[in-house]
Amino acid sequence: MPRLSRALLASAAVVVLSGAFGAPKADTRDGTGDLAILPHAVVLRGQGSRQQLIVEARAGTTYTGNRTATSTFASSNPNVATVDAAGVVAAVSDGRAIITARAGEVSASTVVEVERASAPYPLTFRNHVVPVLTRAGCNSGPCHGSLSGKNGFKLTLRGYDPDLDYLTLTRQAAARRINKVEPARSLMLLKPTLAVSHGGGKRFATRSPEYGVIAQWIAAGTPAPADWDPSMTRLEVFPSAARLKPGDEQPLVVRAHFSDGHAEDVTRWVKFSSNEGAVATVSEDGVAKVQGAGEAAISAWYLSQIVTARITSPFPHHIDAAAYARAPRANFIDGLVLTKLSELNIEPSPLSSDTEFIRRAYLDAAGILPAPEEVRAFLSDTSAGKRARLIDALLERPEFVDYWAYKWSDLLLVSSRSLPSNAMWSYYNWIRSSVAADKPWDQMARELLTASGNTLANGAANYYVLHKNPIDVTENVAMTFMGFSITCARCHNHPLEKWTQKDYYQMANLFSRIAVKNGPDRGDLIVYPARTGEINHPRLNVPLAPRPLDGPSLPIEAETDRRQFFAEWLVSPDNTFFARAVVNRVWKNFMGRGLVEGVDDIRDANPPSNPALLSALTRDFVAHRFEVKHLVRTIMNSTTYQLSSRPTATNAADLKYHSHYIARRLPAEVILDAISQVTGVAENFPGYPGRRALQLPDAAVDSYFLTAFGRPPRVTAADSERQQEPSITQALHVINGDTINQKLAAPRGLIQILIDGKSDNRTAVERIYLAALSRHPSDEELRTLSRAMDDGLARGGPDSPRRPVLEDLAWAVLTGREFLFNH
Amino acid sequence: MFRFDAEKSVHFCDGMRRRDFLHAGSLGLLGLTLSDFLALKAAGQVDPARDVNCIMLMLVGGPSQLDTWDMKPDAPAEIRGPYKAIPTNVAGIQISEIFPRMAKHADKYALLRSVYHTGAGVHDVGHQYMQTGRFFQFGNEQPHFGCVLSKLKGPKGDAPPHVLLPRPIGNTGGNLPHGQNAGFLGKTFDPFVLNADPSDANFQVPDLVSPDYLPSMRVDGRSSMRHLVDNAVSHLESIPDARLLDSNFQSAYRLMSSESARSAFDLSKEDDKTKDRYGRNRFGMSCLLARRMIERGVRFVTVNMFETVFNEITWDIHGSAPFSPIECYRDLIGPMFDHAYSALLEDLHDRGLLQDTLVLAMGEFGRTPKVNPAGGRDHWTNCWTMLMGGGGIKGGQVIGASDEIGAYPKDRPISPPDIAATIYKALGIDIETPIVGASNRPVPVVDYGHHPIAELF
Repeated sequence: MPRLSRALLASAAVVVLSGAFGAPKADTRDGTGDLAILPHAVVLRGQGSRQQLIVEARAGTTYTGNRTATSTFASSNPNVATVDAAGVVAAVSDGRAIITARAGEVSASTVVEVERASAPYPLTFRNHVVPVLTRAGCNSGPCHGSLSGKNGFKLTLRGYDPDLDYLTLTRQAAARRINKVEPARSLMLLKPTLAVSHGGGKRFATRSPEYGVIAQWIAAGTPAPADWDPSMTRLEVFPSAARLKPGDEQPLVVRAHFSDGHAEDVTRWVKFSSNEGAVATVSEDGVAKVQGAGEAAISAWYLSQIVTARITSPFPHHIDAAAYARAPRANFIDGLVLTKLSELNIEPSPLSSDTEFIRRAYLDAAGILPAPEEVRAFLSDTSAGKRARLIDALLERPEFVDYWAYKWSDLLLVSSRSLPSNAMWSYYNWIRSSVAADKPWDQMARELLTASGNTLANGAANYYVLHKNPIDVTENVAMTFMGFSITCARCHNHPLEKWTQKDYYQMANLFSRIAVKNGPDRGDLIVYPARTGEINHPRLNVPLAPRPLDGPSLPIEAETDRRQFFAEWLVSPDNTFFARAVVNRVWKNFMGRGLVEGVDDIRDANPPSNPALLSALTRDFVAHRFEVKHLVRTIMNSTTYQLSSRPTATNAADLKYHSHYIARRLPAEVILDAISQVTGVAENFPGYPGRRALQLPDAAVDSYFLTAFGRPPRVTAADSERQQEPSITQALHVINGDTINQKLAAPRGLIQILIDGKSDNRTAVERIYLAALSRHPSDEELRTLSRAMDDGLARGGPDSPRRPVLEDLAWAVLTGREFLFNH
Repeated sequence: MFRFDAEKSVHFCDGMRRRDFLHAGSLGLLGLTLSDFLALKAAGQVDPARDVNCIMLMLVGGPSQLDTWDMKPDAPAEIRGPYKAIPTNVAGIQISEIFPRMAKHADKYALLRSVYHTGAGVHDVGHQYMQTGRFFQFGNEQPHFGCVLSKLKGPKGDAPPHVLLPRPIGNTGGNLPHGQNAGFLGKTFDPFVLNADPSDANFQVPDLVSPDYLPSMRVDGRSSMRHLVDNAVSHLESIPDARLLDSNFQSAYRLMSSESARSAFDLSKEDDKTKDRYGRNRFGMSCLLARRMIERGVRFVTVNMFETVFNEITWDIHGSAPFSPIECYRDLIGPMFDHAYSALLEDLHDRGLLQDTLVLAMGEFGRTPKVNPAGGRDHWTNCWTMLMGGGGIKGGQVIGASDEIGAYPKDRPISPPDIAATIYKALGIDIETPIVGASNRPVPVVDYGHHPIAELF
């Protein structure tokens, strides 16, 4: 953990300090340990330097409530640093002072070191003026940050290009915006204070800190942004986590550290936002307010960096600690889930029944229903470890390969809409054979991204037929393999994340040397690395050194295949983006929700519901050589996966922390295959006889059912392409459409077997339930449904055939929620 | 609870067992949140006297203001483009020569010539702004105007309150939501999507009618049986999507069983002359279908003129493939719109429906004033023109004005929330009516600080 500064080390004799932040130890002077003052150590550099302090109540290592307003503050040496009633400490002269906060019987202290108190700290355009313009909204989208500016004055959106903004402010409009002789007469100050008319209204007052920063910068001669300006190295938020209750307010303080060693309280210039407004909201000034139970991440964005504070607000239940202690733990997943549940006072549901488990496991892992005899065998097996054995067997089935080949084909966009049929097959076959061979995920990604040669011979090479230019490859690679979108940064720095336009074009330049030419056969293309080719950064108009996000750069003159360089970086065990993204996708497949939701929206401001769990799963996945099957087995064997979907009296509101299995509608292809499986009448896909829906290589196969139930068109890698919500169109289709009705009416399959076997009502109900719902009907169900069948027969008259009533029964089961949902 | 033992038949075709629905203990029947409506009516936020419906024509792609409804005949050639201005039946209002028919109806619509938005010049962003009045931030999807209306007023009879024709907007390049569903209001209030092309020779709503081999009595029996099956596993009721599944089934049965609702989708009841008048193409037939629906109780119909901007001739005239050339306005798109729009206004007027039907025609942005090297025009969010007519809107007038090259509003800039406020006012909804937002906090239907365009009323 990085140390704050020399001052911090030097002061160790005065108070016992913890690390720079994080778990505080006994840093209260009187040792009572129930009050803390943040930040733990403060260095104020330069004239007028200030820092807001936050006083927190504390239980153990957890902050439990803000006490700043009710504390009294004192400085051990007001000649060095003063502190006011609000807790703002200000530099007076060089030296060291101890600031003590007292709330009732308890107190806490922090050390303050003052440096260069007589020298004004030089304000820079980049680090001070631009943040003022950002905070005041001047360079926001609706104002001068708009693509076309406002009233002839255009700034870059949220200040992503300080050099250009500097020129605009100092040179454009006949330099009227700045008056170096009389700074107060600068338009840059007259407009936002509404001293002259301003379409955007009053943005700040003449006595405000905003005004002060701009006036001081103008008075200093409007120094231009320079290469040697200190750059921000780290952003911190205090407190970084707190456990609060609804109605509580928690002010947050944000401190920025710069490369010249100084740190500043930048809270006033930060853009705050909450990821979960139902749990906590945050004001523009950084005061979080707890609204409900759960967890929220409050993000603070400053100079294109982001830091988050976690607000935990436990549910108002009284859960016996023993409930967590006695909950079964099958592997590391369960301990981490239970820790999170206990932090939030959420009770875990009991274990699923064997019938629930077998159906769920088959559907989630292989997209099929267990056959009735498999259900019977599993239910009658009384030996220990039968669930683990079932999982092992399931993972070796060909349907497991079908399912995961289909899933990765969604992700990798296999479709005859964008590839000739033979190339589409080649691409699909590469994916399917990779899954069948248990090819580790890193190897799959490496083969795909470095693919060369004939697309018919090397299916992976079709990736570069689908994604033809550096922009497309960059954005697709980020979404597919890292789980986030960097599209915003194509045109400007990402407004709420750390990715800059420079990051974007450095990454894009990794893909500027890929060429495609015609191959010998129809539909065949040859992908090969070109020797030259660059993509220019659109503003700088030069190519930048190729560099993966946050990775090392490759010299622009290097002659290696840039894709190779990228692939090595991507799949390196040290690159957490890569493993984390696929772990999250696989987790969602089984658990109904990503640890980060959505699976292609992994961002600092959208943190995981259980960060420790995501990290542990990611480490485990990497340690097991990126084997997807190992990950699947780990998840499926956890108690967490095997919990019932029935909520308890207190955990129904939780759809995020996995206190119970999240029931959800089945995917389109799985429903269709299941209907075919239960009715015993296969679907006939044009051009693909004998294949189940999950065996289709192509998303462009004509099927009204699949389209209506939300099959993704495979145009983009976005997870949201797949629609899993019920719709009226779907209801109409199952009521009146041909898919189910014709399978039921077919003179073969299950209905015919029931007719031929002269099955009575109870037998029919029994068989249909076992086939469709993987369970035996209850006595009550047997009774009411047999009676309903009798009534139906009676309505039809004395000689009415059995077929209609059997069809109707099967229809009712196949359109019911228990069948259409995995639970 | 479901009267399975009801002894008689239960006819399906004539108004099917309304009471059985009540017996079934239904949840919101496609937005039948009567309580919302009653509560709002009591609070004076929904005007019960105003029962105005809306047809919204989304001109996907972004029509060029300079080639359609904001002509600059005196500007240099590279600005004014290839088309001439023609007079309309309202003195002083000129539009493009590509719209000879709508020129005869200028008294029925107002031209808003200073519409702008401040977001990125991406189709998807414009769709969000123009269909919801807001830009989506922080994963917070805002509801479409029609979905808000569904939520606040519920269905009128058996037809769904909000229908989207013919298909949703698909890929337009930005990979962002288009603002075409209920967003944070929940899927219950999503529009009913036709998902078929009404200009197809054998057009019908997919699966609206039972197949011949399924007599209505059996459809009924199945529904009863399905309830028995579902009721036995009531614990699944706690899943929101399972409840939605049920309400979808109920809505589907209502649609199937109501003669009037089914007839709303039946274009075969329209004569050839009418069809010719609207234009026998996807957009023309969608407009005709929209009129039928409004007549039969649908409150809001959204018609997407196009589904995408790629590899299809649309308003998106960049001038180079896979987009469209500027000439397509004269050769294809202009006539298509001219026919359908003028027919719709005339038809609604002749049937006495125009006064109670707000007709909107709008794109997601305008186009660059200067013709680009490919002879087309690119995206331009700073100024464009949209049309509003019917529903109590005073036609025959121009609101706002652009500068001499159609680049920026010169006068009375109109933002998407201003448009939203105007639409809600026309629909009889107070613009401060609260709807419950993503974080369970009530938000007004229109952001504070925006007002309806008073001159239009």
